[in-house]
Amino acid sequence: MTAITLPAPGKPARRSPRHPYRAALASARGRVGLALVLPVVLAGVLAPLLAGHSPTDQSDLSLAAPGTPGHLLGTDDLGRDLLARLVYGIRADLGIIALAVPLGALLGCLFALLAATHPAVDTAVQRAFDLVLAFPGLILALAVTAILGPGRLPVVLVIALAEIPAFGRLLRTGILVEREREYATAARVGGASPARVLTRHILPNAVDPLVVQIAVSLTVAVFIEGAMSFLGVGVRPPQPTLGAVLSQSMPYLADAPHFAAGPLITVTALVLGLSLIAEALNREIRR
Amino acid sequence: MTASALLEVRGLDVEFTAPDGTLTRAVRDVSFTLDRGETLAVVGESGSGKSTTALALLRMLPGTGRVARGSVLLDGQDLAAADEAELRRVRGARIGMVFQDPMTALNPVLTAGAHLDEVLRAHGGRDKAARLARAVELLDLVGIPDPERRLDDHPHRFSGGQRQRILIAMALAGEPDVLVADEPTTALDATVQDQILTLLGDLNRRTGTALVLITHNMGVVARACERVLVMYGGTVVEDGPTAEVLTRPRHPYTAGLLAAVPRLSAPSGTRLAGIPGAPPDLSVLTDGCAFADRCAFTEDRCRTVTPPLVTLTTRAASGEGTVRVACPPATSRSAPLPAAPPPARIDRPRPGAVVLEAVGLRKTYRGRGLRGRPLTALDDVSLTLAAGETLGIVGESGSGKSTLARVLAHAHPSDSGTLRLDGVDISRPSRRELHTVRRRIQMVFQDPYASLNPRMTAGQIIAEPLHAFGIGDRSRRAQRVEELLLLVGLDPSAADRRPRSFSGGQRQRIGIARALAPEPSVLICDEPVSALDVSVQAQIVGLLTDLQRDLGLSLVFIAHDLAVVRQVSHRIAVMHRGRIVETGSADEVCENPADPYTRALLAAAPDPVPPARHREPRSTQVPA
Repeated sequence: MTAITLPAPGKPARRSPRHPYRAALASARGRVGLALVLPVVLAGVLAPLLAGHSPTDQSDLSLAAPGTPGHLLGTDDLGRDLLARLVYGIRADLGIIALAVPLGALLGCLFALLAATHPAVDTAVQRAFDLVLAFPGLILALAVTAILGPGRLPVVLVIALAEIPAFGRLLRTGILVEREREYATAARVGGASPARVLTRHILPNAVDPLVVQIAVSLTVAVFIEGAMSFLGVGVRPPQPTLGAVLSQSMPYLADAPHFAAGPLITVTALVLGLSLIAEALNREIRR
Repeated sequence: MTASALLEVRGLDVEFTAPDGTLTRAVRDVSFTLDRGETLAVVGESGSGKSTTALALLRMLPGTGRVARGSVLLDGQDLAAADEAELRRVRGARIGMVFQDPMTALNPVLTAGAHLDEVLRAHGGRDKAARLARAVELLDLVGIPDPERRLDDHPHRFSGGQRQRILIAMALAGEPDVLVADEPTTALDATVQDQILTLLGDLNRRTGTALVLITHNMGVVARACERVLVMYGGTVVEDGPTAEVLTRPRHPYTAGLLAAVPRLSAPSGTRLAGIPGAPPDLSVLTDGCAFADRCAFTEDRCRTVTPPLVTLTTRAASGEGTVRVACPPATSRSAPLPAAPPPARIDRPRPGAVVLEAVGLRKTYRGRGLRGRPLTALDDVSLTLAAGETLGIVGESGSGKSTLARVLAHAHPSDSGTLRLDGVDISRPSRRELHTVRRRIQMVFQDPYASLNPRMTAGQIIAEPLHAFGIGDRSRRAQRVEELLLLVGLDPSAADRRPRSFSGGQRQRIGIARALAPEPSVLICDEPVSALDVSVQAQIVGLLTDLQRDLGLSLVFIAHDLAVVRQVSHRIAVMHRGRIVETGSADEVCENPADPYTRALLAAAPDPVPPARHREPRSTQVPA
């Protein structure tokens, strides 16, 4: 170490490297997304405090207009308080998607890791994914319900099942790309075991797209749950969900539009908000 | 500022705005002129603002870049103030551009003819037959053989050099007055580079098109241009006739850069003189000279006053000329700056017994698709490596040198052949044997950006092999990381930072520290300096040779630049199409090459010593 001059200890990072997720949520897109999603989530979480009525209690006021004393959003055809049905509906929805999406993500990632171990396993896993993807979501839903009967569990399973290939494929692609990067070769030459290369080096660099996918999947889950309840193969009545309330309101759309308005606005806010958050995350990660 | 100047740039400032509002002044107060038919090289290292200057001429700046101040006068018309419609009339028609990467610059679904036709139509060629005839003429002009037939070929049918020729033909289609070529040969092999430079020189003489050649390579400057503009930190530091600037540099940066360029004529074991430190951070706006922190002649005024370009008269053998230099200490002195000390020799011990031996290595990659032909990357490669020896491996892209590196380091298995480490056969190691082999043979990678895991800190990256080989406990490992950082010339505090906060040279030091962590006896360096700037390259090469001396390492040093390889290597092996065509002592191979391919490589290597005027263009044909 004689002739070369020691370089100055590197410049401190110019901009504090803000975490991309936080930066995404702080962007305009992310803020609007949060502003749409957070009130809905809060309404669901605080449902027992906000409702004032039980969502299944019937009164003799049927199809009361919004603003009726005691019923802020009015009542449905059976005289149940619509505010209570809306917030409890949100609560039921959130409960389902908060369980189903992480379950689908987890299983999808496990399959992707499994596929990364050997080309033969990879082929098997990919064909299994093809099989699931070959069924349109609602056919899958009907098939599962036909076996298990309607209820909460089938909805969770259908959503999870539909999400497994999405997460599995995405992580598999990430692993395949990152595995060819020079740092992965460097880790192998450095003596790291295949499992360590995969978990310590490749996986942390391949997860970013999964975060975006979670936001996208939450949107899809809201749709699937709504569609299943709408078709009557979801959570059983009289338990309210957004899809169920919407389905119930259909015959009265001309006479009592306020009946459908609550769940419609809520689903729109959730889907739009989650999409905006997904897009914000995506942009930040790809920078 | 002659009246006949074709292009005159005055006080050009280019700024980029980061998303968080930070302003980066990539180009600061750049002024120069270009005469009709002149060849001007703009030379500088990464971040010097040379490409940004070129793009700013036609206001083609990417992203948030904008011309903040100054003017670009083309025959008196100010392009910096022109509107988009006016600029479109200038682009291609009066100023043509050629970019760096010929592989991605052509649309793969369009034929060469379609590319040319499109440009010709844009320049007002109405008659289809006339456009076709002109396209053939242009291809012929840039030296594509059999132009009529090749018009219908798609880009993938052309080699990299031919694609660059097509791009040059496209740039010339509008018969521009100026051709701006941004690193036109950087992505090409030396022999092809030589052909393209010859072509550009020819075109300049035959069509009178002025040439602005952006490059980082001093050899290219010497080979292709009459005048050179040296840029550093977004400013022009020196501007003058190539012969004058390259032989009698006035600015300390030019002098340092020239000293750092490896010369093919220097014998093996010559130490390269690097410039200490790293290029400046342009977002930190300061007055004073951008080079002050790395300069040996810095005075107080250098840090406070932005040095103006001062015009000096020179008396070279070729007659009187003027040189502009932005360095008060250099210009206020009558004599040029003291010349660099003669290159030092590296004292290295004699190589010992053979450590690594390869016999008859073969590696074939499966072709793509059903009928894809297999690609032979290694064809019967045999070599030996002694303790404390450096074996240089030279070759152009596709010669199989990177595959050889990976096979030697057991990153890829070979198809057949034998590898022996200390006489023990390690060609087909079991898992446990592989673990021991890997501890002995480590690798340094080409790309210091891609080869470090961006999610880990420098300390974690260096400790990774220690962890993998189960060396030491937690505190012992931390201590070893600190030792290694010091060994490669980094501050131990660097351990907590992630790769992105280091410069290219510093990252490569981290890569070397990682390779040294398990105390290997063989270090395989795959193009360890080709992604680095010249001044930093010298630092890393110096580090590797010092480490070899101090630790008794055996090095395999792979590079495409013969001059670097000659200086670090005891012996050189020349690779061509998967075979080693020549092996011998470094000086012997460079001075008395036996193989025609080696001779072609040597002839094509650009040397930063300005050539005699008006010499005949050389032809360097690669033997098939």
